[in-house]
Amino acid sequence: MVIIETFGLSRHFGKTAAVEDLTLTIEAGEVLGFLGPNGAGKTTTIRMLAGMIAPTKGYAIVAGHRTDRDVEQLHEIIGILTQTPGLYDRLSARRNLEYFASFYPSVEAQSQVEKYLKLMGLWERRDGKVGTFSKGMKQRLALARALVHEPKVLFLDEPTAGLDPEAAGEVRQLIRTLREEGRTIFLSTHNLTEAEVVCSRIAVIHTRLLALDTPEQLRRRFFRHQIVVQLESLDSRVTEAVKNLPFVQEMREEGSQLVLELTDPERNRPELVKAIVEAVGRVIGVSEKQYPLEEVYLRLIREEKGNES
Amino acid sequence: MSRRRIRNILLKEWTLLFTDLNSAFLITLVPFLIVGQGILYIWLASRFAGESMLTTQVFQTALQKLVEAIPRVAQLPGNEQLIVLLLSQFNFFLLLIPTMIAISVATFSIVDEKLSGSLEALLATPVRTWELLLGKALAGAIPALVVTWLSAGVFLVVVSGLGWGHLTGFVVTAGWFLTLFLLTPAVAILSFMLGVTGSSRAKDARSAQNTVLVIILPVLALIGIQITGIIWFTPSLILVLALVIGIADFISLRAAVRLFRRESIVVQWR
Repeated sequence: MVIIETFGLSRHFGKTAAVEDLTLTIEAGEVLGFLGPNGAGKTTTIRMLAGMIAPTKGYAIVAGHRTDRDVEQLHEIIGILTQTPGLYDRLSARRNLEYFASFYPSVEAQSQVEKYLKLMGLWERRDGKVGTFSKGMKQRLALARALVHEPKVLFLDEPTAGLDPEAAGEVRQLIRTLREEGRTIFLSTHNLTEAEVVCSRIAVIHTRLLALDTPEQLRRRFFRHQIVVQLESLDSRVTEAVKNLPFVQEMREEGSQLVLELTDPERNRPELVKAIVEAVGRVIGVSEKQYPLEEVYLRLIREEKGNES
Repeated sequence: MSRRRIRNILLKEWTLLFTDLNSAFLITLVPFLIVGQGILYIWLASRFAGESMLTTQVFQTALQKLVEAIPRVAQLPGNEQLIVLLLSQFNFFLLLIPTMIAISVATFSIVDEKLSGSLEALLATPVRTWELLLGKALAGAIPALVVTWLSAGVFLVVVSGLGWGHLTGFVVTAGWFLTLFLLTPAVAILSFMLGVTGSSRAKDARSAQNTVLVIILPVLALIGIQITGIIWFTPSLILVLALVIGIADFISLRAAVRLFRRESIVVQWR
């Protein structure tokens, strides 16, 4: 079931386009990573989808509500984690959550607050003033605030930005827990590893949408499927034997490794290993060549910048 | 739902207000400074200027209006007539308390939330603009009102302590009660609505304060108009004034909602 749909969604600030002609759909239960450099329009998109700013062109539907028309109803069913936690430092963690929970109709504030303080590991500090909390604790509390009314869609705007690795890891783990619960999450991030670990699909934006696919498919778009054969040592008998195999399309030596492109990697793999062994090669391992998502991302951005110039 | 939301805003604002030493200090200190200052001036005037003040044209006119309103004043000795005249200004003088507190507290109400980032999170909830603004205005106006009433009580106690107790009957009139319990709430709400509106439109707390500073001018004008005898505010006139300001309260709320640009706040503030 589609839960977020955008149709040519655009937002201009004066003559500057922040988001241009964004069209995408997101299924319920999906975690979509929204990647892009600074000023690419990530936050603007989230704000439009959350009904906080209106598009200048196009429109979006979130959980059946037009984001530019049904704002109040929309706000009842979405949760948002903004870039800054935006909590009241002089109030306790519990009071912060109770305050926000009370704005939603039919939310049993006390039990919901308890549930999310426990989920975020903040129950023991529930009566502590938020001003005394670490950045990571504040971010977890802000995440609890975004969830306290059980939203259908959760927007997270750079949830791990500015956190130390441990705190970022904790927040990431919480997002994974939410994903396992089947929540729909729209995650804006700079962190490509985070996107890969947490998201089912990734959208790359640079004012306009550059790509939208699973991490694997995005890799395939730029890098061919390659097999890496790790050998004890590499000699000419092995390279000759492999080169002469009919299904080997390309071969490259990298130290004691052979990097190969095969016609059908799954089917060809046993024959490949057999040929190497027959040439007295000693195979340590066979694996797929993994290109980091970062390279895909950088290529997309460079291509876009090249098109612009 | 709206009542629950407004109550919740009130409780949150009060917790923040009374855990902030500056605000708590301001709310408790300003009223007593205003009362103390007023009483000091009256004491100085009666002690050192005495009846000679009454010979000036301004006080002659004012005294004439006072005698028209309360004929028994004419039977008092000259010095006591002066004291009654000056004490009678105190109901309007007390209006300075909610306006001063509004300038200091209300002007920060939205700006502070803008700066801390909590406003963006708040605007992502189903809270309506009018609920937010009214909640914020009432959160300041109610304590300001309470301290104004307390100050009025303190004023009467101090007046008695200074040996003017027998004159309070000329001061605590129907007009006094109408001012305290109708006009002051209307002025308090208006001051805080304007303060909150200024806060929502300003780019920082300082410019918000500068904008809102003008709300004190009408109160000073009221004091000036009465003390110079241009108009003597009779109970019926105070009632009319309270009704007009009550209507202005509603208009200011509507205007505040219109002027509260959610989108600009979200986009321009980080």
